[in-house]
Amino acid sequence: MIKTESSHINYYGHQPGSQVENREQKKQITQRAGAARELYFETKSSVSMEFPYWYTRRWEELEGEIPVIRRAEALKSGFSHLTPVIYPGELLAMSKSSYLRGSYPMPWLSEAFFMAAEDKLYKEAQESGKLTADQFTTMGKGGGNVTRSIGNVISIAGKFGLRVEEMPVMIEIAKKWKDRSVDDVGHKYEQLVPGYSEKEALMRSVICMFDSGYTLPQGREVINYYYPLQFGFDGLIRRCRTRMEEVAGYPEMDRLYYYRATMILIEGLQQWIRNHAEEARFMASIETDVPQMKEYEEMAERLDWLASNPPRSFHESLQMIWLLHVAVLNEDAISGLSPGRVGQVLFPFWQRDILKKVITREQTLELLECMRMKFTAIDCFASMGVVGGVLSGNTFNNLCLGGLKKDGTSAANELEMLILEAGISCDTPQPTLSVLYDEKLPEEFLLKGVECTKIGTGYPAWINNQVAMEFLMANYGHEGMNLEEARAWSIGGCLETSPGSWMPLELDGEIHWIPGGSAPATSVGVHFLSLPKILEVTLFDGMDMRSGERIFPAHGYKLDTYDELWNAFRDYFRRACHVLTLTNNIQHDAWRKISPSLVNSMLKPDCLEQGKDIGQMGCRYNATFNIESCGTANLINSLASLKKNVFTDKTYSLNEYREAILANFGYHSAQETGSYSLIDQIPNDGYDRWKKIHRISLDAPKFGNDDPFVDEIMKAWETWFCTMTHDFRSLYNEPMYACQISVSTHGPMGAVTLAGADGRLGGTTFSDGSVSAYPGTDRNGPYALFNSATCWNHATSQNSQLNMKIHPSVVKGREGSRKFLDLIRSYLRKGGFHVQFNIVDSRMLKAAQAEPDKYRSLLVRVAGFTQYWVELGKQIQDEVIARTEYEEV
Amino acid sequence: MDRSELIRGTLFDIQGFSVHDGPGCRTLIFLKGCSLRCSWCSNPEGIASVQEPLYQQSKCTFDLLCMKSCKYGAITPVGKPEPSDKSMASEQFGTAGIGRVSPDGTILPFNHVSAGELKDDTVSQQGLAFDRSLCSRCTTRDCIAACCTGALKLGGYEMTVDELFDRIGRDRPYWGDRGGITLTGGEPFTQPLFVAQFLERCYDAFIHTAVETCGNIPWNSLEPALPFLDWIFFDLKHIDPDRHHAHTGSTNHLILHNALQLAARFNGRLVFRLPVIPGFNDDRENIEQTAAFLHKTGRKEINILPLHHLGREKYSLSGRSYGAGIFGIPSKEDLEQIREIFTAQGINCYVGSETPF
Repeated sequence: MIKTESSHINYYGHQPGSQVENREQKKQITQRAGAARELYFETKSSVSMEFPYWYTRRWEELEGEIPVIRRAEALKSGFSHLTPVIYPGELLAMSKSSYLRGSYPMPWLSEAFFMAAEDKLYKEAQESGKLTADQFTTMGKGGGNVTRSIGNVISIAGKFGLRVEEMPVMIEIAKKWKDRSVDDVGHKYEQLVPGYSEKEALMRSVICMFDSGYTLPQGREVINYYYPLQFGFDGLIRRCRTRMEEVAGYPEMDRLYYYRATMILIEGLQQWIRNHAEEARFMASIETDVPQMKEYEEMAERLDWLASNPPRSFHESLQMIWLLHVAVLNEDAISGLSPGRVGQVLFPFWQRDILKKVITREQTLELLECMRMKFTAIDCFASMGVVGGVLSGNTFNNLCLGGLKKDGTSAANELEMLILEAGISCDTPQPTLSVLYDEKLPEEFLLKGVECTKIGTGYPAWINNQVAMEFLMANYGHEGMNLEEARAWSIGGCLETSPGSWMPLELDGEIHWIPGGSAPATSVGVHFLSLPKILEVTLFDGMDMRSGERIFPAHGYKLDTYDELWNAFRDYFRRACHVLTLTNNIQHDAWRKISPSLVNSMLKPDCLEQGKDIGQMGCRYNATFNIESCGTANLINSLASLKKNVFTDKTYSLNEYREAILANFGYHSAQETGSYSLIDQIPNDGYDRWKKIHRISLDAPKFGNDDPFVDEIMKAWETWFCTMTHDFRSLYNEPMYACQISVSTHGPMGAVTLAGADGRLGGTTFSDGSVSAYPGTDRNGPYALFNSATCWNHATSQNSQLNMKIHPSVVKGREGSRKFLDLIRSYLRKGGFHVQFNIVDSRMLKAAQAEPDKYRSLLVRVAGFTQYWVELGKQIQDEVIARTEYEEV
Repeated sequence: MDRSELIRGTLFDIQGFSVHDGPGCRTLIFLKGCSLRCSWCSNPEGIASVQEPLYQQSKCTFDLLCMKSCKYGAITPVGKPEPSDKSMASEQFGTAGIGRVSPDGTILPFNHVSAGELKDDTVSQQGLAFDRSLCSRCTTRDCIAACCTGALKLGGYEMTVDELFDRIGRDRPYWGDRGGITLTGGEPFTQPLFVAQFLERCYDAFIHTAVETCGNIPWNSLEPALPFLDWIFFDLKHIDPDRHHAHTGSTNHLILHNALQLAARFNGRLVFRLPVIPGFNDDRENIEQTAAFLHKTGRKEINILPLHHLGREKYSLSGRSYGAGIFGIPSKEDLEQIREIFTAQGINCYVGSETPF
């Protein structure tokens, strides 16, 4: 039975292949949010030097001061000097900088990439191997990215625009941080780790992508809004003062400085909020339109109140959590700061307003749409390699819905229904949504989630609540995690299971237990290990054949049996984990000393109680370091091919495979063809010699087909990987865990990896995620893919990831919604941790690739998040197009 | 040997997450062999009852390895040889974006395979021709082993009742509350023993069972399976015997007879299906007569399915010609009109995938 792509499209009433199948009819965005969206579309990513200038200036002034105080003063100076901007029609004010899509560099973390290419610092950084990843990452060409310098604006890292006159400021400030940034200090001391040169080789070969300590030291976690919502900023200052007086002069004196620092920081935040209130009043004073003037005045009143007090209404509570979100994002380079279960956190405020009839459901929807526009405009300034390669420009502000309450009953509520509704009508990338699926959730809520998934935005992702709780209990049990507390969890970042806690929000004398994050970043540690590349290096006894460089010492195995190959691979993997864990621990130590978290620490339980910031283990749960993998399906498929063809059937010898890999199976390189998708690769003159071995490799069992031969290999790998990570200790002396999300690293990592025994050609993109099949190789339909995906226990890993592309016709109509829910539910019941869907037509994607401007608002789901198609790198676009579509006649 | 092991079904596909062939999410089982020869058939690889080589010309690099391996001399090259730029990578991972260059230099889209072009149009196309009468007697299939590009594959595979039951058992967790299996093809009842035994196994295991049949089979092939079936889709192509014969190769006497029998004796849900072929069976007269026939059966549900040409590409695989290219695609309005005729006669008519199940 041969299936051809177009033979399985259910089209209706028009010529096959002639038209793009459109997504289901969307709901209309409100006028207010629509205007904000238009403005957003017109806006480019922009960088300003305001915050870094004032931060650095104050830092310099306080030479010799106690570090945490110095940091607080620098942050206070940065916040209180940010130019306030209020946009007409806004219901929620404030943003990262004075630009709508603004962000700024944080040279105190790393200053190297702020320097112009000709700058000596940049070259130094390049030589040490840190920026290799940048060279293999292409950034999306369209959208809000400033891909090249235009007029008065310089393109930074192919994404951000900077005014020409601020360029010297950037260089000048960056120079101030030379030898003092987290990057530089960490680098100085990480070289003391025995075997450090191996780490450099790992980075140069792109077996590992990115250091953890200075790139994005925070994020992949869930914020906790409780304290300011309950006590207000003045209340927090009072609490700090009381605690400060209790600890002053007693042992563990760091607590004294910490409380003092937090008070200084809060003063800065209050000034920042009041500056915006002042700006709103100014706007009101020059406004002639009376309704708009009134809105400005109300805005000013709201902000003034919130600068000191806890919120009184739903609108104020939403403004409060938004400004807290921005405040945390402004203290560090952060991606993946998840607002968490906002619909449950704010429900008490909303319910009270609804009962008192001070807000309608329509007004709520409008506010929630405005919130979406605010989150969508968040940018993160990091190097090209991090922004394009890891994030694809996405900042992962994951908002979670559903799950269970503290008492174990369904937590879904009406406000969450409205959040889903706003996600449908205002289909912007952020906040991305996730449903924490539990059997106890009501059908109506789940079908609302399905309706949202069906419009093709890619969210909500569907997450298994019980699997996550099992992981949390196992991983944090020794820190006191119990069943009740496990229910407070949420996704931090794109797919990172993050522990939470129940906080007693008191409103009108009644206690509402609201969930919030209670751990630091849950995805720091060893970032993105390229499994196929490690296998490649294993086959060549420690050599990176692309560069000719030795990465590891010879492994000493003859590789006569499959077991020897498996052992040799595991030895190298363990070696890589070992040196990278140690060097990353040193970087994070530099981070907590030079750039301690103060805003985020103030929010996280139990930092304020203990008088310790996040870096001093002030959080309730601290076992949050991980080891990340990339390219799992390619590793498994390659092992399966070698096991079958070399060790079982003995069709080819390992040497013949080595030759075929070096010859790229007789194909031109992906760099030559300009496409990173396997379907576009072109054979060269040597093709005839290799086509038999290539055929055999492509025909070898492939993961995703419910084939026990390959699924057993998957199971062995996962069982080993998810256990061996516990052997490594984090900076906080806690065991580490496995994290299996590729985000967007499978593109650039594939680009530097030779062909594989699975038939994948050199330079082409890996499979995404951990349980997604390699594009085109899952030929037995979704149920077979589900069976393969659940051949191991997902609760042993922080996450697993399954992305599927589904044609709209499959889930059309009301019956389609129910069947779609059946599909989702059945996978999760089987033990799958996560599944998400692209409901689009591949022709639409091809068209969008050719004409990005016509598809400005097209959303595509890639590797755990949502992003505008035109802003994705070309490698990822190619990969999404190639992914198997599940369609039917 | 257990008797059940001797009864083997010949299948050509099993497809999970099917949502338009019965209630809930289902696994579709495609059985090989058909008793009709409908010109618009979208599964031509299911017509023959035995395994057969399927040849996809677009993946062929014309290295003639298959020809050299064939003991019977059943394969001959057709058309002018020219160097090919086709690659295995492209065949393995779909044909999107891969075009073919015609002799005059224009690039044809990958799906530009017109009916019977390999046989009839030897000047403009290069390919391989198979003497299918020889292939049908071959048991070794050396050509398929020799092929490096995936252009040659074997269509169809055999399974015992136990094997098939195990196979669909792995899908069972995904069907949800209402789903199950649907037998289709081909015409499932061309393999009556296998079908009845398999359905009985499903019945015993509380699996919801459906079948889609063209009805052109002896009643005693159908009858043994009835106690184990929950749902039957029964195709009506045309109400006039001669018109029916013209495009299906058979009159409809047996079909209409079976329909009446079934309506009287089958306890499950019976839903008729009508493929809407413009110019063949979409005229008012045929629709009204079909409606009248439905009244006679006493069953009141029909699902009309618009013609599509998506199976067209598959015809050349088994050396067949597509004869339905002359028919157009019904418009949404055409379908709506047909639905109105049925509705006016008190019959529930579902258009395409817009069904209440």
